[in-house]
Amino acid sequence: MTDGAQAAAGVSSAAAAVDPILDVDGVTLQYKTKEHLITATYRVGFKVYPADRFVLLGPSGCGKSTLLKGVAGYMTPVEGNMRLKGVDIKEPGPDRVMVFQEFDQLLPWKTVKQNITFALMNGGKCKTQREADDLAMQYIKKVKLDRFEDTYPHMLSGGMKQRVAIARGMAMEPDILLMDEPFAALDALTRRQMQEELLALWEDTHFTVLFVTHSIEEALIVGSRILVLSPHPGQVKAELNAHDLNHGNMSSPEFGELQTKIHDMLFADRILEDELQGEDA
Amino acid sequence: MTPLVPQIVIRPEIETAVGEADHGEVARQLTLWEKLVDMDPVRKFSILILLMVVWEAYTQLSGVSELILPKFSSTAAALWAAITGEQLMIMVWNSMKILITGYVIGLVIATVLSTAAIMTRFGSDVLSTLTAMLNPLPAIALLPLALLWFGLGSDSIVFTLLHSVIWPVALNAHTGFMGVSETQRMVGRNYGLRGLTYVVKVLIPAAFPQILMGLKIGWAYAWRTLIAAELVFGGAIADTEGTASGGLGWFVFSNQMDMQIPHVFAGLFMVILVGVIVENVIFTNIEIKTIRKWGMQAQ
Repeated sequence: MTDGAQAAAGVSSAAAAVDPILDVDGVTLQYKTKEHLITATYRVGFKVYPADRFVLLGPSGCGKSTLLKGVAGYMTPVEGNMRLKGVDIKEPGPDRVMVFQEFDQLLPWKTVKQNITFALMNGGKCKTQREADDLAMQYIKKVKLDRFEDTYPHMLSGGMKQRVAIARGMAMEPDILLMDEPFAALDALTRRQMQEELLALWEDTHFTVLFVTHSIEEALIVGSRILVLSPHPGQVKAELNAHDLNHGNMSSPEFGELQTKIHDMLFADRILEDELQGEDA
Repeated sequence: MTPLVPQIVIRPEIETAVGEADHGEVARQLTLWEKLVDMDPVRKFSILILLMVVWEAYTQLSGVSELILPKFSSTAAALWAAITGEQLMIMVWNSMKILITGYVIGLVIATVLSTAAIMTRFGSDVLSTLTAMLNPLPAIALLPLALLWFGLGSDSIVFTLLHSVIWPVALNAHTGFMGVSETQRMVGRNYGLRGLTYVVKVLIPAAFPQILMGLKIGWAYAWRTLIAAELVFGGAIADTEGTASGGLGWFVFSNQMDMQIPHVFAGLFMVILVGVIVENVIFTNIEIKTIRKWGMQAQ
């Protein structure tokens, strides 16, 4: 047994002692377009444990965003079930707050602070406006946006908007924070900075996060555990550990090996797909 | 022979220390003239003044009859006389009372219709069928029917105003609701917002640019309909409810009957003035305080 496998075994035996926060079991998700009924994921199963930075990784069309929407409660599986702390997920709720890729996830008619207090008051997290204001300011400071609390979203840069959305998600203190490619629309420099900030925030409270991305590099840096999905329909290819990888050891051999391994897993599909398309033609 | 391809010319690297170089003024105060020319009201007001000058010059020089086209100066004098001596402002207020009544009731009905349309499929079908059917019908065409149902009086005019307000407002609100981004809808539902609270707290503000456009169109339709109704039937209403209850349209109509053409022009000028004030003062202010502040005007 190699060192890596032993470390992996150690992690999984420790995890067995606690109950998973999120249990996705044999989930098939379908949605309709005008012409087709699309099967986005087929019998996908995974478990997210407390303090996990669990990444759903796959190429476009692997149903990773659809899966996240299922967990958020916007979609109901046609097969299998999804349980949050043992309770079936039926509809959206403030116990699973979603951070989206799109910048318009902030309500444009509310200031930075109001966006957060709106969530806190309506989500039932805070009873009084004062309490909500205090909590909002606390999280605005955490994402280093104090001085901008009374600014409207359209005055902010893309990175700042995503920081507000993350602050809003964290302020709700949900059981699990759902992030749907939150940094995909940012430029490379800002993206890297945001990844670092997210990890620093995670170090504070070890919140549980389910993170969707199509970037292998981002998955390795942000994630502690990675679920690799194949496309059309999304099926589980592997569940891998990446808890010791971060910006600091991007040039290490381990980072490169895992990156290559995942790349090969996803790339193997693409060759197969090309061949199939070749046969069709 | 190799084809000629441009080659990279390798040059020495350059690093510059950016100091207090002599790049001239970085920020300069604008002159008074530059500021004036940049002010929208100033430029538009000068166009108005130009029009008045052309009007006055033409009527003075061509000697056209006062009964065809009164001078600007006589129109201004007639307006002043009407305001000071003939209770023109009270007539404006009479018109506004009817208009506001119709507008407010119309908004309530439009809100109910568009809310029902966004919450249920039946409501949506009802709204689209009714709008498709009734929107092309000019409100003024309903006035004869309204007079039959509600009799001679302001109730009939309010009824026709309802017709001109409800459809554009409901239609625009519905289009606005449908256009709210999927992300914002999901955000709202994420906090557990459902039903009416979801409509009030998420959909209405998110669709506000479209809603405001509907409000403006509804207002403009209502104002035109009101003046037209008063022109045609205002006399009858003024007769039944007393002359002082006549509106602005009635002022124009009765003066035309008396061949007081400068007064007719003065009345029309007042119609324009009220329209301009509501559009450029009231609605523009709402716009500045809402969608421009929120950066939503580009929709």
